[in-house]
Amino acid sequence: MTFEELLHLPAFSLDQPHKQAILLEQLKALTEWHRARCQAYQRLVDLIWPRSAESPAEVPYLPVGLFKSHRLVSVPDDQIAVTLMSSGTTGQRVSRIFLDRITAQRQTLALGHSMSHLLGRQRLPMVLVETRSLMKDRSQFSARGAGVLGMMNFGREHFWALDEDMRLDTEGLRRFLIRYGNAPFLLFGFTFMVWQYLYKPIERLGLDLTNGILVHSGGWKKLQDEAVDNAEFKRRLFDATGVRRVFSFYGMVEQVGSVFLEGEDGYLYTSNFSDVIVRDPLTWREAPAGRPGVLQVVSALPLSYPGHSILTEDLGVLHGIDDSPSGRRGKYFSVLGRVPSAELRGCSDTHAYGSNA
Amino acid sequence: MTVEVVAPDRGGVDLEQALQDLRRAPTHQPFSQGIVDFCSEFSSVLLRETEALRFPELRVLGFHTRRAAVTELQHHFEALASRDCVLVPRGLVFHIPPANVDTIFLYSWLLAALTGNRNVIRISSRQSPQTSLLLRIFGEVTRSGVGDEVRSTTLILRYGHEREVTAAISAVADVRVIWGGDGTVNDIRSIPVPPHTRDVTFPDRYSMALIKASEYLALDSLQRAEIAGHFFNDTYWFDQAGCSSPRLLVWLGGAEACAQGAQLFIAELDAQIKARRYQLPTGAYLDKLTFACGAVMDGGVIGYEARGNELCVLSLRSLQVLRRDHCGAGLLFQCATERLDDLAEIIERRDQTLTHFGFTTEELFQFAHALNGRGIDRMVPIGKALEFHRYWDGFDLLQEMTRRVHICGR
Repeated sequence: MTFEELLHLPAFSLDQPHKQAILLEQLKALTEWHRARCQAYQRLVDLIWPRSAESPAEVPYLPVGLFKSHRLVSVPDDQIAVTLMSSGTTGQRVSRIFLDRITAQRQTLALGHSMSHLLGRQRLPMVLVETRSLMKDRSQFSARGAGVLGMMNFGREHFWALDEDMRLDTEGLRRFLIRYGNAPFLLFGFTFMVWQYLYKPIERLGLDLTNGILVHSGGWKKLQDEAVDNAEFKRRLFDATGVRRVFSFYGMVEQVGSVFLEGEDGYLYTSNFSDVIVRDPLTWREAPAGRPGVLQVVSALPLSYPGHSILTEDLGVLHGIDDSPSGRRGKYFSVLGRVPSAELRGCSDTHAYGSNA
Repeated sequence: MTVEVVAPDRGGVDLEQALQDLRRAPTHQPFSQGIVDFCSEFSSVLLRETEALRFPELRVLGFHTRRAAVTELQHHFEALASRDCVLVPRGLVFHIPPANVDTIFLYSWLLAALTGNRNVIRISSRQSPQTSLLLRIFGEVTRSGVGDEVRSTTLILRYGHEREVTAAISAVADVRVIWGGDGTVNDIRSIPVPPHTRDVTFPDRYSMALIKASEYLALDSLQRAEIAGHFFNDTYWFDQAGCSSPRLLVWLGGAEACAQGAQLFIAELDAQIKARRYQLPTGAYLDKLTFACGAVMDGGVIGYEARGNELCVLSLRSLQVLRRDHCGAGLLFQCATERLDDLAEIIERRDQTLTHFGFTTEELFQFAHALNGRGIDRMVPIGKALEFHRYWDGFDLLQEMTRRVHICGR
């Protein structure tokens, strides 16, 4: 089955055996594709994964950190249209992902395919919980910028809700709601930003977001201090604004487009173009439903860089396969957070003396 | 300026005052009765402590501070003297140990204190159970009957990276002992000291093991298990992040013998790792996997073998492709070679410890002469990589802690 054919199947409709067969074929082809075009990838696959995969779980995977330490690309430099960079604090190394036009296009189409399941085919008026200045340089994007750009496609009449200092334009938001608030509209932002820069300022303003569909992504790490999890996030937003349709998605700059979208039941579902594999951190075999492990994500999209199978540094748990009451097929799972970072002993101080350890 | 003292007593002190008191304290001769008795008592208390016995590195420290070990050091010290010289303490030694190896601060202190110096030790704010335990015992012994001398001549401070504290101590130091690798050495060096002060520095180092395949293959399985156990200690006690822990394993011999030896060795080492229930946190494993995959991608790696999360062996096409960046956590580069000269060719100044098996002392001497200073500061049998010695990183620490007063009678 080709990518185009996958696009024509309804989203979340593939049952697991069927999906595994399709994905295996796609992933094996991608492994060969990148082997032929990226020497570093070829060396790795030939040495560590000499055997042909017989299931998606046997497809070679790259630890996500490699995109920080290595420049992994499968197209000539003059075909790189966009370079994506992961967010990271100062001093941290960031991932660099190189997209050519066709890969970027596949990402857009795949994301649209999953999102239209949620949003319908019409573009909705859209609030971006972001600052317009994020979009200045169009050849290099942060993960945030790429996420926003990708999501902008699903909206119209975009309203940028924040100024450069992350202050909410409350008056602008009121005007947007007067104009569009009586029919479905879309809100998008990163989880922490939605909480900090949208929810907190409007908590007591009585704004009505009942018709809004809020899509957000980015994880709960920054909200842990405030003991805010997904359920609390939704409850507080609903109490303050009446917004009911709130969906997170799990995605990463290394696999833009093939996101895992939250269903009404709070679980994450796999798109037609992607799947998740939960691995036991001792045996690295697939963990059964209910047992937490390290998440591996596979995607049929990346052609310009060898990122179709990635071992993340996130922990998650599978809840079931093909048996969700929501009617969505395939696997459904939750993300539990990051694998705690390692602090080994040793003679060389890991913190520079000049910094504060 | 108030700083936190963690031994001999706990509490805040005014740094200027404390340094002044320290400099005014009466001096003691090298290997004075007071210091020798202190070490002996410290050793007994440490080795009686059940909590300490859980940590092999603390047992070793207890062994090195025994009266017999200290007496042996004293003999070495006396041998350093000559008829026309008196060896005297340098004065005040400022120790800056690494944050992550819990016992080094005491070894560093031991040689300086035994030779009659006064000591200031900086302990980092991060603290392991091992360090806490050592500090508690150290404090206890200073308050006991044999503690007087150390009480007045040693000050252990805990602070972060405040430059003004380091600067104030540096200003009165006669020797600074700077551990912690390149970054720390460079940072501390930028803080001025009096013109006569010496810095003894311990920058980032690289270490390796060398095995003669024919000798190894001649061992029975019990002996092979013993070697693997020793190698485990060298490598895993500090998660392979100790500067003398081997990161490269070189097999000397014909290709077939080396391959056969390597196969046996990896199986034995894996068995030791499992028998001792050594386990790596998932985060450390993922970092190691990333490093290993990156090394394969960069080329020059012709073999990849993983045994659980804890051991990963990357075979190199030749020693020439060796890279010295490393992730620790149980990753070994491995290479076979027929001539020792091939190893000599790639040795550089950064290379510190060569742990060996299957070589005669003469062969090792020959190798050292062949290297002629290019690199390698010590060659010790497998199992002794982490063993502290007066000779370290090319220094004789007993000598570094003393001055020679030359006396010509007429």
